[in-house]
Amino acid sequence: MTLTEPDRTVTAAAHAVDLFKTYGTGDAAVHALSGVNVAFDRGRFTAVMGPSGSGKSTLMHCMAGLDRPTSGRTFIGGQDISLLNDAGLTQLRRDRIGFVFQAFNLVPTLTARENVTLPADLAGKKVDLEWLAYLADALGITDRLSHRPSELSGGQQQRVACARALINRPELIFADEPTGNLDSNSSAEMLGFLRRSVREFEQSVVMVTHDPRGAAFSDCVVFLGDGKVVGELQAPTEDSVLERMRQMGT
Amino acid sequence: MWKVAVRGMRAHKLRLVLTALAIVLGVTFISGTYVLTDTLNNTFSVLFGNIYKHVDFQVRGVAAFESNAPGGGAVRRAIPESLLAKVRRVPGVGVAQGTVAGYAQYIARDGKAVVTGGAPTIGLSFDPNDELSALRLTQGTAPTSPHDVVMDAGTAGKYHFTVGDRVRILLLGPPETFTITGIATFGTANNLAGATLAAFTLTTAQALFHEPGRLDSINVRVAPGADKTQVQRALAAILPHGVEVVTGQTVVNEQTSTISKALGFFSIALLVFAFISLFVGAFTIFNTFTITVGQRTRELALLRIVGASRRQVFWSVLVEAAVIGLVSSLIGLALGVLAAVGLVKLLSGFGITLPTGPLVFEARTAIVGLLVGVGVTLVAAVGPARNAVRIPPVAALVDHPVVHAATLRRRYVVGGLFSAVGIGALADGLTKPAIQLVGLGAVCIFIGVAQLAPVVARPIASVLGRPLAKLLGTPGRLGRENSMRSPRRTAQTASALMIGLALISAVAVFGASLSRSATSSIDNAISANLIVTSSSNGMGGFSDTVPGVAAAVAGVTATSTVYAGEFEFQHSISTMTAISTKSVGLTLILRMTEGTVGALAHGELLVDSTTAMTSHVAVGDFVSVRFAKTGASTVRIGGIYEPNALIGSYLSGDGFFLSHFENPVPLAVLLQTNGSTGVERRVIAALHAYPNLKIQTRTQFEKAQQAQVSQLLGLIYALLALAVLIALIGIVNTLMLSVFERTREIGLLRAVGMKRRQVRTMIRAESVILALFGAIIGILVGTFLGVALAASLRQQGITEIAVPVSSLVTFLVLAGLLGLGAASWPARHAAKLDVLAAISTE
Repeated sequence: MTLTEPDRTVTAAAHAVDLFKTYGTGDAAVHALSGVNVAFDRGRFTAVMGPSGSGKSTLMHCMAGLDRPTSGRTFIGGQDISLLNDAGLTQLRRDRIGFVFQAFNLVPTLTARENVTLPADLAGKKVDLEWLAYLADALGITDRLSHRPSELSGGQQQRVACARALINRPELIFADEPTGNLDSNSSAEMLGFLRRSVREFEQSVVMVTHDPRGAAFSDCVVFLGDGKVVGELQAPTEDSVLERMRQMGT
Repeated sequence: MWKVAVRGMRAHKLRLVLTALAIVLGVTFISGTYVLTDTLNNTFSVLFGNIYKHVDFQVRGVAAFESNAPGGGAVRRAIPESLLAKVRRVPGVGVAQGTVAGYAQYIARDGKAVVTGGAPTIGLSFDPNDELSALRLTQGTAPTSPHDVVMDAGTAGKYHFTVGDRVRILLLGPPETFTITGIATFGTANNLAGATLAAFTLTTAQALFHEPGRLDSINVRVAPGADKTQVQRALAAILPHGVEVVTGQTVVNEQTSTISKALGFFSIALLVFAFISLFVGAFTIFNTFTITVGQRTRELALLRIVGASRRQVFWSVLVEAAVIGLVSSLIGLALGVLAAVGLVKLLSGFGITLPTGPLVFEARTAIVGLLVGVGVTLVAAVGPARNAVRIPPVAALVDHPVVHAATLRRRYVVGGLFSAVGIGALADGLTKPAIQLVGLGAVCIFIGVAQLAPVVARPIASVLGRPLAKLLGTPGRLGRENSMRSPRRTAQTASALMIGLALISAVAVFGASLSRSATSSIDNAISANLIVTSSSNGMGGFSDTVPGVAAAVAGVTATSTVYAGEFEFQHSISTMTAISTKSVGLTLILRMTEGTVGALAHGELLVDSTTAMTSHVAVGDFVSVRFAKTGASTVRIGGIYEPNALIGSYLSGDGFFLSHFENPVPLAVLLQTNGSTGVERRVIAALHAYPNLKIQTRTQFEKAQQAQVSQLLGLIYALLALAVLIALIGIVNTLMLSVFERTREIGLLRAVGMKRRQVRTMIRAESVILALFGAIIGILVGTFLGVALAASLRQQGITEIAVPVSSLVTFLVLAGLLGLGAASWPARHAAKLDVLAAISTE
């Protein structure tokens, strides 16, 4: 999915142009991203794959406004976020993006419910209670909402994080190895829910993963290697992902 | 392990600096106090050595007893002047000169009396022999006529007097005008530690001080070639009973030790504050080490895995503490020297000019400073080091290592025990009274309360945080949650502040009680409408012609003169107050429990009920007393009155007093008026010639007494503020460490949309809750201590107990604001944290 098809960027949930990210200087310089052009489609579930050090997490951080690229530009829904200052980025993350991380997704002092409504509370917005009830029900955490994170299992914690990511109906959800710490049952439930949110509410989701089985839940896989986009696979299955990874020699 | 400890420290420089600050401040106090007092001692001993360089012997009255007053020396009787001729005739005596000293206070050009910062205003005889004289003329000549005076260079410089000027001087008799014939220094100093000096010819001085034909002492210089021991023996042989001869060196030593005693009082006060700083500092250190051991759980567990023994882990923590203690103590020692220099400057700013001399840094200063600084740090680190030992090796391998600390139940027991012992010691110390026990009791109570504080930390933080959460929204709620998260840590951090505020509150309660008692005791003790005292803070006296002048004013119906002096009552030195017997019933209110006020007129002594009880005396008893002038005798107890802070424990009539004391100066005159208009104005006009007087109505007098109390309180508050400062450093420290600990959490909050401002608000809310928690407990404990202290001094005249609610509320609000201030750095740091820190895997 390179930029040979320019019109796609107009409809993309997010896209990046000539993205470079370098850590350190001189001999010690590490090029985490070296010229990435990529677009994530609206209303689709995209997986970003690649071996360790391929730059997949860096790409996500830059595109979500968590980190600043060394050069190049990143867009969320057509807005150039490289032009935003810290306050602008914070607001962007709060109102337009949802996050699910591998671990440490929840604030330990808050209950599950408070964690879910945190972005809305921080913005001083009213929480859509119907939507909250619906999400809790869909994720099976309704009876766990008054508990603190320490009283929840790993799978439950990730589902609470998922609800938090969706509570503001963001334009885009970034998930960074969301199943990294989960057993296979919880993983499947989690990924199933992400896919369901794409199908049912036309949610756009970008997930960084190194698990081919997880990638198979997505609509499209973008492969990264050495800081560059090295391939793309539509309608992946576990086998086709593995096949492609073998071809790339990883 | 040594290497691990050192590397660990290098990795946490900031933590080190913050922890060290408390120790640095405490040791600075210790070192500053020692350097200052050693330097002053040395300077004075050099000064006196210089002055008495050529005085081989001094002939003087034998000491009746040592004065109890700070800075007071031996109380001696004058010797007859006729002795001077006899001394001069002793073979081997080269030069002999008599001296006499008394009260003389200059009046400045603007008509106001020259006042000193509490130092005496000394008049003395000028010794024409410059080898024997303490005074060295720098300008002009010695006094020759009865109208000549030599002024000290300090007063001359400050009030712009030169040789040839005329100056009025207040004396025991009416004020007189003199011509300045010379300006002199006291040895090498401009004056004697702020005291003013007026030197007259010997005969003039004797007349002015009402000592005709008498001398205080005779200074002797041995003739060249004479054998000193023989001369001393010969001198001793001719002296009558009650007169002694001592060497010049003895005089130097005595004078120096008198100054040392006065300084000792001052240095003990400063050392108490050093102790308070270090005690509060110990809490901060304990807290910091507890947190850092917690932070390094995984690292320490890893050390255990690779083979470090428990003992090695323990010592790695203690070594870190020792190094911190050592470095901070060294810095504190150095700063103390600077502080001493600064204090000397400060004192001279108050008009207490001290002679200049080299700084004295005794080995003792370094040893005590280092021992205390390192010791306190080590003791505070032992607990955390023991926690470190409990970390199991497996903690390195799990995700969220949890080390089970001792349960809160142990805290109940330990805290309860400490509090109980503390209250016991306090009660015992207050009733005895023994100040050490009181201090020990307070320390135990502080430790006990600090142990118990975690139990109440969560509910109190929850209540305190509720309005904040409501006011500040989500960040406020998060701050509240954070403060409730670890009650142990909250309590530990707040403990230091608790102690600081407890001390301040105790002082406030005590001060308010003292102030109110003083007011009510004035109302209960004095019925006079006008009170005449000396303007130098009620310390100095004034001319004995004043009562007569005041009594002659139209509208004044009764006049009572008040004196005070030291005497020996049943072999212990006490202060006797005396009042004119004629009019005592009209100016003074005495609530007699036994006997009558009239007994005063018969030369009998009245004592207050406390003294009657502790000394086991009753009305009609004859008790043994001793006076410097008249020696031992017995006196009948004529009555017992209720304790009165203003009058003191022993009251006699003026006739009795004047016959037993040498030339006493009146301390106060109580005037009863007929209430006619303008009496006060007429009294002021009549006493115009005495600018050293303060003429106050009873209300003004009460106000002045209260002002004195608040002035003292202000000074104590300023010193205690240091303890609060150290406590605040502790809060900064804890918050900073919490921010480090919660890096990921803060990153997560930022990732899901928390603004920087909101992060800052969150940290500030936590800090304010911490500070308020410490302040509330501190104010409660302090109020308890203050009430206990005030209640125990009921017999000493603190009859009323006042809790200054508005002051305490002010402290609470200030503590909250200080908490807000303490949060500023951690809050800024937290707001600047990298968002990525939350999600980047370790």
